[in-house]
Amino acid sequence: MAEETVISPDIKFIRELKETGGETLKKCYQCATCSVVCPISPDDRPFPRKEMVMAQWGMKEEIFSSPDIWTCHNCNDCSKYCPRGARPGDVLGALRQRFIKEAAVPGFMGNLVTEPKMTLVALAIPLLLFLVVLGVTGHLGIPEGRIVYSKLFPIRYIEVIFLSAVGLAGVAYLTSLSRFWNRLTRVNGRGYSKAFVPALVETITEFLKHSKFAKCEANRDRKNGHLLVFYGFVGLFITTLWITFYYYVPKIHSPIPLSDPMKWFGNLSALTLLTGSLIVIANRTKDKGINTRSSSFDWTFVIMVLLVCVTGILTELIRLAGIAALAYPMYLVHLTFVFYIIVYFPYSKLAHMGYRTLAIAYSKMTARDVEA
Amino acid sequence: MEKKLGVYICSDCGIGDSLDIEGLQNATRKYQPAVCKTHPFLCSQEGVQLIKDDIQNEGINTIVIAACSQRVNQDVFDFDPLTYVTERVNLREHVVWVQPPGDENTQLMAVDYLRMGITRAMKALPPEPKKAELEKTILVVGGGVAGLSAALETAKAGYKAVIVEKAGELGGWAKKMHRTLPSRPPYAELEPPDIEGKIRAVEENPDIRVYTNASIEAIDGEPGMFDVTVSSSGSSETFRVGAVVFTIGWKPYDATKLEDQGYGRYKNVITNVELEEMANNGGLKRPSDGGAVQSAVFIQCAGQRDENHLPYCSSVCCLTSLKQAKYVRDSNPDAGAFIIYKDMRTPGLYENFYRSAQDDEGIFLTKGEVLGMEENPDGTINVKVDNKLLGAVTTIKADLVVLATGMVTNMVPEEREPNNLTDEFIGDIVEKQTQDGIVKELEPQSIVLNLKYRQGPELPHLRYGFPDSHFICFPYETRRTGIYAAGAARHPMDMASAELDGAGAALKAIQCVELTSQGKSVHPRAGDQTFPEFRLESCTQCRRCTVECPFGTLDEDEKGTPREHPYRCRRCGVCMGACPQRIVNFKNYSVDMISSMLKEIDVPEDEDFPLIVGFICENDAYPALDMAGINRIQYPPNFRFISLRCLGGTNLVWIADVLSKGADGVILIGCKFGDDYQCHFIKGSQMANERLGKVQETLSRLMLEADRVEQVQLAINEYDRLPEILDEFIEKVKEIGPNPYKGF
Repeated sequence: MAEETVISPDIKFIRELKETGGETLKKCYQCATCSVVCPISPDDRPFPRKEMVMAQWGMKEEIFSSPDIWTCHNCNDCSKYCPRGARPGDVLGALRQRFIKEAAVPGFMGNLVTEPKMTLVALAIPLLLFLVVLGVTGHLGIPEGRIVYSKLFPIRYIEVIFLSAVGLAGVAYLTSLSRFWNRLTRVNGRGYSKAFVPALVETITEFLKHSKFAKCEANRDRKNGHLLVFYGFVGLFITTLWITFYYYVPKIHSPIPLSDPMKWFGNLSALTLLTGSLIVIANRTKDKGINTRSSSFDWTFVIMVLLVCVTGILTELIRLAGIAALAYPMYLVHLTFVFYIIVYFPYSKLAHMGYRTLAIAYSKMTARDVEA
Repeated sequence: MEKKLGVYICSDCGIGDSLDIEGLQNATRKYQPAVCKTHPFLCSQEGVQLIKDDIQNEGINTIVIAACSQRVNQDVFDFDPLTYVTERVNLREHVVWVQPPGDENTQLMAVDYLRMGITRAMKALPPEPKKAELEKTILVVGGGVAGLSAALETAKAGYKAVIVEKAGELGGWAKKMHRTLPSRPPYAELEPPDIEGKIRAVEENPDIRVYTNASIEAIDGEPGMFDVTVSSSGSSETFRVGAVVFTIGWKPYDATKLEDQGYGRYKNVITNVELEEMANNGGLKRPSDGGAVQSAVFIQCAGQRDENHLPYCSSVCCLTSLKQAKYVRDSNPDAGAFIIYKDMRTPGLYENFYRSAQDDEGIFLTKGEVLGMEENPDGTINVKVDNKLLGAVTTIKADLVVLATGMVTNMVPEEREPNNLTDEFIGDIVEKQTQDGIVKELEPQSIVLNLKYRQGPELPHLRYGFPDSHFICFPYETRRTGIYAAGAARHPMDMASAELDGAGAALKAIQCVELTSQGKSVHPRAGDQTFPEFRLESCTQCRRCTVECPFGTLDEDEKGTPREHPYRCRRCGVCMGACPQRIVNFKNYSVDMISSMLKEIDVPEDEDFPLIVGFICENDAYPALDMAGINRIQYPPNFRFISLRCLGGTNLVWIADVLSKGADGVILIGCKFGDDYQCHFIKGSQMANERLGKVQETLSRLMLEADRVEQVQLAINEYDRLPEILDEFIEKVKEIGPNPYKGF
């Protein structure tokens, strides 16, 4: 018997979970097959059985104070073997979405991004912002001559808009993360067997290798898709740093010739991301005999990744083809998706990055982690 | 009747390969059969024709078929039992399939069986059935769901029914239900009870007579002629019925004994029955102040599966709580209903209902244990639960705590504890002055039926008051022939099951009146036309038969001489085994018959070959031996088995016969007895065991060891244990040494 809890179930929370992809959660009858088949669940208080019952009982606080919904990699071994079709994988997914929304700073951003019906509004905001800035500064219109995107949207504007937005989002994200960390550590009566930094290093090494992901059985291909998306983003991040370096140090400005190694690297990263996101989509659409359903929240994000890739590649191709009337609008559209991905990241699926890192590091610190 | 014997030996199925058929034929000579024939395929049309021709031309009336088991080919070797005696000698399953072919001992065994079979046939006469024009009306005791269904089905089948109901109106518990469990796919929606329609159908049916506010003063007689005296509204009336359906229903367990679970201590703790009433009378409210119910905690197995209260599971309360949780949810979409169970039991298709309740976001289910309760100043109750699924002690604040109390059969009177009843009949142990001094005796209490039976006025019961019957194999049969129990009186069940149960029992009752009027036995020897015959001039009034009959067949006159009620009889022969004077016999089953068969066994003088006689029950042990044969399981050749209708028919004189003949041991193989008995005659194998306890006397008179006689309990599916059991017994007998009477 563990600590005593007063139960006042949050029926609204249960209803919300059921609406956001966890509609099967009540079917669980606690046989614990899920916890047994899960390759990455620890022996000590394994998930997702206990998350299922806590979700059934509407115990939001308890679920959100545990690292386990984030330790889950959504392999769906649990859903495949669930004898009741309760789909624990999907329920944990819904819980993560619900957590992101709950932890969002400021709160309204959570609603804006996690609610799929708000997606158009979320996209309209940056687009309008761009149009207003361009309108006010007199840049609205298709510039003459060789296609150079900074003619439409000077780099400095982009820097100001994006750096300030990402900065704000970053601060908000750090706030959410530190709140999560406080929740995790608040009720630790067991002490730590490892310090934070080594645990973090171990966690990140695992991520780079995707070694924990490789333990998934039911949904093995997901690892490849995720790996490509992950490295695609890493590559594009490096590309961004690289181009910034070109801009300020050797003063090489866009467009950069295709022969430049930076261009190779950037294009390669974009193709990696594209391939990755296509694999992810293919995985989600093909029936592998696993009883799972992607929530609209998941779909929104995957489609955004695909769109950012496609519009990016089109922006480059149309520029090379020299069709100015198409190229500049495409560039604006691309920037809108880029904004969605990098400014909204604390509220989108991408938010899992930080939460998962902290959760796994915390599991390692409390010796509840499964060897990758 | 002049016996004309025909012996037919089949040589198929390995019999001819294993045995010396000519030797068998020679062995029959001493009985001077009119014909003795062998056939390579006796169960063929040609083989059967051979027998028929002999019947026609030679006047054969006693047919001995030495071939396969009596349990097969019954339709092939089917000669009118009222004209011919047919005896089957099992050379196949009991000899050639379990013994080495061509062996001398195999042959000896076959010869013994053949001689015993011929003797049995020669001693048997065709039965003389007691046919009569009997009353076929069915009395239904109790007008609840089961009773109404029984009466309607009876009428539908073309018979008349009489319902006797204690209350002022029909309908029973069903009238008090707010909703009933779903009856059709997807088993998710509760339904309004459809009892009114049933009551109307009964009231409008010209073949159904109804007495309300009525009780039964007496039931006298036997199937086909039960004289029932009913008192209703001050007047009483006697009429005759053929059989009885017993559907007296249930009562809730007395919740005042559950004070430790808050009942009576806190106003907001109620029972599931009270919640049902509440739902029927204006909806769910807190009893303390009439406030809304925002949260209700259902405590399962309240006073159930608990040695101090009801030790059994009532099987319905989980469903009732799930149903009532839906009332809570329907009355308020934001309310929570918590069900704390030991095990969630939702039999059969109700699993779907459980699933639908589980899907409800406001129904919370957990295995758990209630650790305590506290009343808050506002009347709400904090229920402390060791929640096994959450692995934590949790406190739930409840507006209403509902105790899921269980069902007690109405066989148990109000003032008695179901877990503390006297054995067999409910009553009091009283001390009586007799010529042997003061003896303690059970004085059974009249409750519902008021049977004028010597053994007691009600149905013998199992633990906790349910009528005694074999729960799985023959559920409706009680220990009173012609009385069939159904519904929650028989065991706890829901309304849909009670409805089916009533129909089932009604069909059994109809079967009973029909078979009885044809002079035939009901289950388990359905169709048997023999009756026990009492040579009363030799009776010593020892009363063993009247006491031991599992079915209360025999009453007594003042002196203790048995008074027969042949239609109550199930033909097990327990009385035959009980009688020390050997006055009870059947036309084709008698003490003398078995004794004569025993004389035909050729006991070898070889001291290293112990010969053992086995008495086996025809329902379990005989088919088990057949199955050993079918599976070619070999066992020692030292045994000679004699099939009995029931081990309870074993007369101790046979044991003396066996041992004084020089055979070395006796083994009785019969059904399991005790709480989980498998005996088709309920008490037979247990009775045999009790009698064996007294065999010591017989054996010491013969100066023999008691260990030479043993009873083994064997289930029908345990045939693979036979070699081990038989080997062990031989070893034991060898250790005791040869019977000193050998060779006398």
